[in-house]
Amino acid sequence: MRDTPTTDPITLEIIQSALQAAADEMFAAMRKTAMSAIIYEVLDMGTGITDGQGELAGSGAGIPAFVGVLDKAVQRILEIHGAAGAIEPGDIFVTNDPFYGGVTHLNDVIIALPVFAEGQIVAWTANIAHWNDIGGMTPGSMSTEARELYQEGLRLPAIKLFSRGEPITPVIEIMKANSRLPDYLVGDMWAAVASVRVGEKRLLELVQKYGRAVFVEAMARYMDYGEQVTLAALRKLPQGRFELAEEQDDGRIFNVAIEIANDGLTIDLRDNPDQDVYSANVSADGARVASQMMLKSVTDPESVCNGGSFRPLKVLLREGSLFDAKPPAAHSFYFETEVRLFDIIWRCLAQHLPGHLSAGHFASICGTVIGGPHPDTGRHYTIVEPELGGWGAQTGRDGVSAMFSGFHGETFNCPAEISEARNGLFVDCLAINDEPGGEGEWRGGKGIRMDYRVRADGNFLTCGYTRSRILPWGLEGGREGSPNYIEIRRTDGTCERIAMTTGLTVNRDDVIRVVTGTGGGYGDPARRPRGKVLDDIRDGYITPERAREVYGVEPD
Amino acid sequence: MPDDPSAPKTIRVATDVGGTFTDLVYFETDRGTGEQAVRTAKVDTTPPAFEEGVLNVLAKGGVDVGTVDFMAHGTTVVINALTERKGAKVGLITTQGFRDVLEIARGNRPDFFNLKYVKPEPFVPRYLRREVPGRMTFKGEERQPLDLKELDLILADFRADGVQAVAVCLLHSYANPAHEQALTAAIAERWPEVTVVSSHQITREWREYERTNTAVLSAYVHPVADRYLGRLTDGLGAARFDGSLYIMRSNGGVDTVEATRQIPIIMVESGPASGMLGAAELGRRLGLPNVLALDIGGTTAKCALIEGGQVRVTSDYWIGRSRKSAGYPIMVPVVDLVEIGNGGGSIAWVDDFGKLHVGPQSAGAAPGPAAYGRGGDQATTTDANLALGRINRDFFCGGEVVADMGAVDAALDRLAARLEVDRREAARGVIRIANNNMINALKLVSLNRGHDPRDFTMIAFGGGGGMHAAALAGELGVRRVVIPAEAAVFSAWGMMMSDLRRDFFVTHLVDATPAGLADLAATGREVERSALTAFADEAIAADQVRFTRFAKMRYQNQEHSVEVPLPDGDFDKQGASVVDAFHGLYEREYTYRLDAPVEAIGLHIIATAEVGKLQPVRLPSNGADAAAAVKATRNVDYALEGVHPATIYDGDKLAPGMRFTGPAVIEETGTTVVVHPGQSVEIDDYRNIHILIGQGG
Repeated sequence: MRDTPTTDPITLEIIQSALQAAADEMFAAMRKTAMSAIIYEVLDMGTGITDGQGELAGSGAGIPAFVGVLDKAVQRILEIHGAAGAIEPGDIFVTNDPFYGGVTHLNDVIIALPVFAEGQIVAWTANIAHWNDIGGMTPGSMSTEARELYQEGLRLPAIKLFSRGEPITPVIEIMKANSRLPDYLVGDMWAAVASVRVGEKRLLELVQKYGRAVFVEAMARYMDYGEQVTLAALRKLPQGRFELAEEQDDGRIFNVAIEIANDGLTIDLRDNPDQDVYSANVSADGARVASQMMLKSVTDPESVCNGGSFRPLKVLLREGSLFDAKPPAAHSFYFETEVRLFDIIWRCLAQHLPGHLSAGHFASICGTVIGGPHPDTGRHYTIVEPELGGWGAQTGRDGVSAMFSGFHGETFNCPAEISEARNGLFVDCLAINDEPGGEGEWRGGKGIRMDYRVRADGNFLTCGYTRSRILPWGLEGGREGSPNYIEIRRTDGTCERIAMTTGLTVNRDDVIRVVTGTGGGYGDPARRPRGKVLDDIRDGYITPERAREVYGVEPD
Repeated sequence: MPDDPSAPKTIRVATDVGGTFTDLVYFETDRGTGEQAVRTAKVDTTPPAFEEGVLNVLAKGGVDVGTVDFMAHGTTVVINALTERKGAKVGLITTQGFRDVLEIARGNRPDFFNLKYVKPEPFVPRYLRREVPGRMTFKGEERQPLDLKELDLILADFRADGVQAVAVCLLHSYANPAHEQALTAAIAERWPEVTVVSSHQITREWREYERTNTAVLSAYVHPVADRYLGRLTDGLGAARFDGSLYIMRSNGGVDTVEATRQIPIIMVESGPASGMLGAAELGRRLGLPNVLALDIGGTTAKCALIEGGQVRVTSDYWIGRSRKSAGYPIMVPVVDLVEIGNGGGSIAWVDDFGKLHVGPQSAGAAPGPAAYGRGGDQATTTDANLALGRINRDFFCGGEVVADMGAVDAALDRLAARLEVDRREAARGVIRIANNNMINALKLVSLNRGHDPRDFTMIAFGGGGGMHAAALAGELGVRRVVIPAEAAVFSAWGMMMSDLRRDFFVTHLVDATPAGLADLAATGREVERSALTAFADEAIAADQVRFTRFAKMRYQNQEHSVEVPLPDGDFDKQGASVVDAFHGLYEREYTYRLDAPVEAIGLHIIATAEVGKLQPVRLPSNGADAAAAVKATRNVDYALEGVHPATIYDGDKLAPGMRFTGPAVIEETGTTVVVHPGQSVEIDDYRNIHILIGQGG
C-alpha cells in the first residue's frame, strides 16, 4: 500500500479506464486485420498494457491465458536488453520462445513496444497471437511427436523487429523463409504492429494530457487496487491446506497442494512427473499463468484484473518437471498440459470451496489441425482450432453446453458455411452430443458432435485431446461426464477412435468425427426433479431407458 | 384532402413510441408562402396497447388526423417483445445435422474469468427444432436434393405443440435460396394460417448461427408486430387518416407498412436509428457533413459517426451483448451505433474498494432520480446535475416536477461518505465519471476507426444531450457542437427527414480480378432488378429509386472487410480504381497496406426513394439581442473549471442571429444546455444552438 494519493481519485479512475479502452482498441485493430483464421475467428490472441517495468496494468483484452503471458515477455525483454540505451523509442520487439519470455509455444508470437515519455519508458503495449506456421517439422508447426524445441519452428529470442520505427528487414526475411505460409506471417505481423502502435498513440495522449507523473501514479494505484481486491476475496475463503492427486489418461499422476491464507495463496506443483520426452511440456511461466487464472476465478472474477491481482499468489515449481521444463524441451502441445493443470487446481478447490465452483468440464483444448488441398481453389488450407465442449453442473443450475474450455474466453467457433468455403471439407453435421454421462440433481452441459467430410485425397489430421479416458469429474454425488475423442470413419467402413495423433493421412470421403465430452453432474441424480428429467427426454438429451436407469423416472 | 395540391397546407407528422414517452413532431407548410409552423408533444407510452399512445399524442398535439398528408412512425414494439420475451411460440426447420446450431451458438464466453457463466437461452427449445435432408454448397450448387417427406409429420407435431410461427433456415441459402423457397412454399400450402419466416427473405449473408437466430427472432416478433401495425392502421383509419404512412426501420430510412409487415424485425432499432439519421440530415443542411452524433436519454447514451453526410449501416447487430453476455445476433441492416448504460437516470455507486462508478443500472421512470421525490434514494447523473446548479431546481422537467432537493442532498451525502469527500466533490465526481464513460463510447466510433474527432461536429440531442455535449466536445477537441431546435423529440424529427430506404447485404466471394468483379457486378444487377420489382409492386416507379453500392473487400485470407464505395454504372469496368480505393481506405483505417491479393466477399447495396420528406425553411432573423432571452443569473459548478456565475437563457425566446458567450445555461421545456466559460453560442436560421469551442469555431 502506498501513501494517500496526490492526484484526485476521479482523474486516476479516468486514466485507468482509458487503459482498458486502449487494450480493447488494440484488440479490435488486430482482429480486423489478421490473416490467420485462428486469430480473427477463434481469437487465439490477447492484447495488454504493462507499466514501465513489465507489470500488467490492466486486464487487457482477449484470452486471459494469453494476456497473462505479456507481462512475462516484457520482463524478459527488459532483462535481456538491460544495458543503458539498448531500448530506444520506435523499437518493437518480438519473442515466441518459452525460454525467452514466450511462455507458451513457438506458434504464439508476442510483439511488444516500449512507450517513451520524456526519455523514459512509462509503459509497454504488447500482443500475442497464434501464427499459423512458424516452421519446424510439421505443417502448422505443432506436433505431438516433437522431442526438442528445434523441431517446432523458428525461435525468436526476444529480439528487435523494428529499430527506431523502421522494420529490420533481414529479421523479417528470415521469419518468412522459415514459414510454410509466409503471406500469412507477414499479414499477421503487420496486424500485430499496427495494434501495438495504436496502443502507444493512446497512452501518449494520456501522458500529454495528465503528465507523466500522474500517468505513472494511476497505473501504480490501479495495481494496488487489484491487489486489495484479491486479498479481500481471499479473506472470505476457508483457510487451510488442500491436496489432490489425479490420474491422467496416460497413467501419470499429477499432484497439487494449495494453501489459502489471509495474506496469500500458495500453489505447490513440485511433486509432479519429470518433463515430457515429447511436446506436452509447460514452462515455469506457463504454470504461473494457469495458477493466476484460477486464483482470479475464485477471487472476485467480476472485478478488475491486473498485475496487482496476482501479487498474493506464490507458485512452487521444480525445475525439470512437466510444469517447469528445461531446454531444449518441446512445447508445442503445452496447452493440453496447462489446461490439465488448471483443471486439477479447480478440482482441488471445488471440493473445499462449496458454492464457488462447478463440477468438472470437458477440460481439453481439443486442439485439432486439419490441412490439405482445397478442391475448389487449388490453394492449400489449414484449420487450427480448439473445440467446444460441455461444462459442469453447479448448485441450482445445469451445466452449459457447447462452450470453449475454461482456458478460453472470447473465442468463437468457425461457422460451417465459412468453413466449407475456406477449407476443403464438408461439415456434415454440428450437433449436441447426446452420449450418456454427467447426470445429477443438476446435470452437466453437453459436448458436441461434428463431422468433417474430407473432399480430397492426401489431407492430414493432427490432434491432442485429453479427458479421453479419465472423465470430467462430478461433485456431491453427481455422475462423471463423457470423453473427448475423434473417430476416423473411413470409406471402407472401418472406424478408429483416437485422442492423440500427428500427421494422420485422411482421404476423400473419410469422415473426421469430433466428439467432445459432457461436463460432470452436481448432486445425487435421485434428487433431480421429475419435470426436468421429462423435459430432457422430450428434448432428446437423454433416452427414456437411461432416464429410467439413472433417475428412476418412468415417462407418463 | 391529403396531398391535394389545391389544399393550402401540407401537413407532416412523425410519432415515435419510446420506452417511456411517445413523441410527436408536427410540421405544417403553407403551399403558397412556404411558411412553416412546428408543434411538438409528449405523452406516456401505453404498453401493451402502444397504438393508444400514438392516438393520444396526436390528440394532445391538436392534430386533425384527417388532414395529415404524411406520417412517419417509429416504435419499440419489436425490441420490447424481444427483451421481455413476449413473442410467439416458434418452431424451427433447418438442414439435417444442424438443429442444435441455435443452442451451440458461437461458444464464446465474454466474461472470461467467470467459470459460472450462463449462455443466453435459445428462443426455440430443442424439441421444436426439426430437420430436413437436402444440401447446397457454398457456391449455391445443389449437393443433395431437398426431401420433404417428413414435413407433414413435423407440422403435425408443431400444431400439436401450439407453435404459432415457423422459422426456416437452411445451410448456404444465402448463396441459393431455392431449397428455402420450396420448403417455405410447402409449409404455406400445408398450413396457410401459420406465419412462416425464411432466412433468405431477411438476409443473404453467410454464418448459419447468425442467420438462423435472425429467422427465429423475426418469427418470434412477427405476430406481435403484425397485430400492432394492424391496430395502428385501423386506429388511424378510424380517425379518418388517409395520407401516406411510413414505418421507421433500423437502417435510418422508412419503409411502407406492407413491406414492414412482411419482415417486422427490421424495426428493431427504429428509434435510435432515426435520431442518427436526423443528425446526418441536419448536418447536411448546415453544410457540416462530418458529424459525431450523440443521443443521451434516461437510461442510455448512444453515439454514431457520420461521414460525408452518411450514417454507416451494418448487419453485425446483436441484442443483449455485453462484457457479461454473448447476446443474440440479428442480421438486419442497423445504423452502426455504440450504446452504453449511461443516461440521466444512471445510478452512481461506490464499490467495496472506494471506487466510484456510474451506471449501467438506471433508476428508470420509477422510482426515477432522487429529485423526483418518488422514493429514489440513490444518486443519479440528473441529481448531480441539479446539485451543481446545471439543471435549474425551480424549472425541473420544464417546471412540471418540483425537484426534491432534500432527497438529492441525502443521496449525494451517502455517496460522499463512501468516497470520504464532501457533497460537492461527490456530485462533480459523478459528472466526471459519466462524461468519461461517454468519452470512451465516442472514441469507439471515431478514434478506434481511424477518425480524428477534431474533424467532426458534434450534434447532441435527447433529454441529456445538451447537458454534457459541450464538456465532451472540449475533451475530444471537437470545435463545434450543435443542439438541434427539436433536441428533446429529435428521433421523431429525424423520421420526418427520412427517405424510403432498403439495404441489401449479399455474400458473394470473388477474387478482385476483372472476371471476379464482373461476376460480382452481375450479382449486383440481379439484386437491383428484384428490388425494383418489389418497389413497382408498391407503386414506386423505377425512376424514383436511387442505388448506392459498396463492395465489401479485404486482403485474401482475411476475415473482416472494408466497405469500398463503387462508381455508378458498371463498376467492374473500373476494377483497378476500385482496388486502389480499397488499399487507400484500408490504410486509413489500419495504418498500413499490403502487397497481397485482394478479394471481395460481397456487396452492400442501398436503394433509396424520396417519399415527400420535409424541407425545413429558414426563419427570418429579427435582429433581436440575446439579452431579450435572459432569465436570470446563477452559480453553476463546472467541475474542474470551478464555480461561475452563469447567465440563464430562456430557450424558447432564442431567435436566429442571437449570440452570447459562456458561462451560460439555456433552459427549454425538454432539455437544458450547459455552456462552459469561454465557449460562444450562435443561434442559426433554424433555431439550432451552435456552441463554439476554442479558437477554431
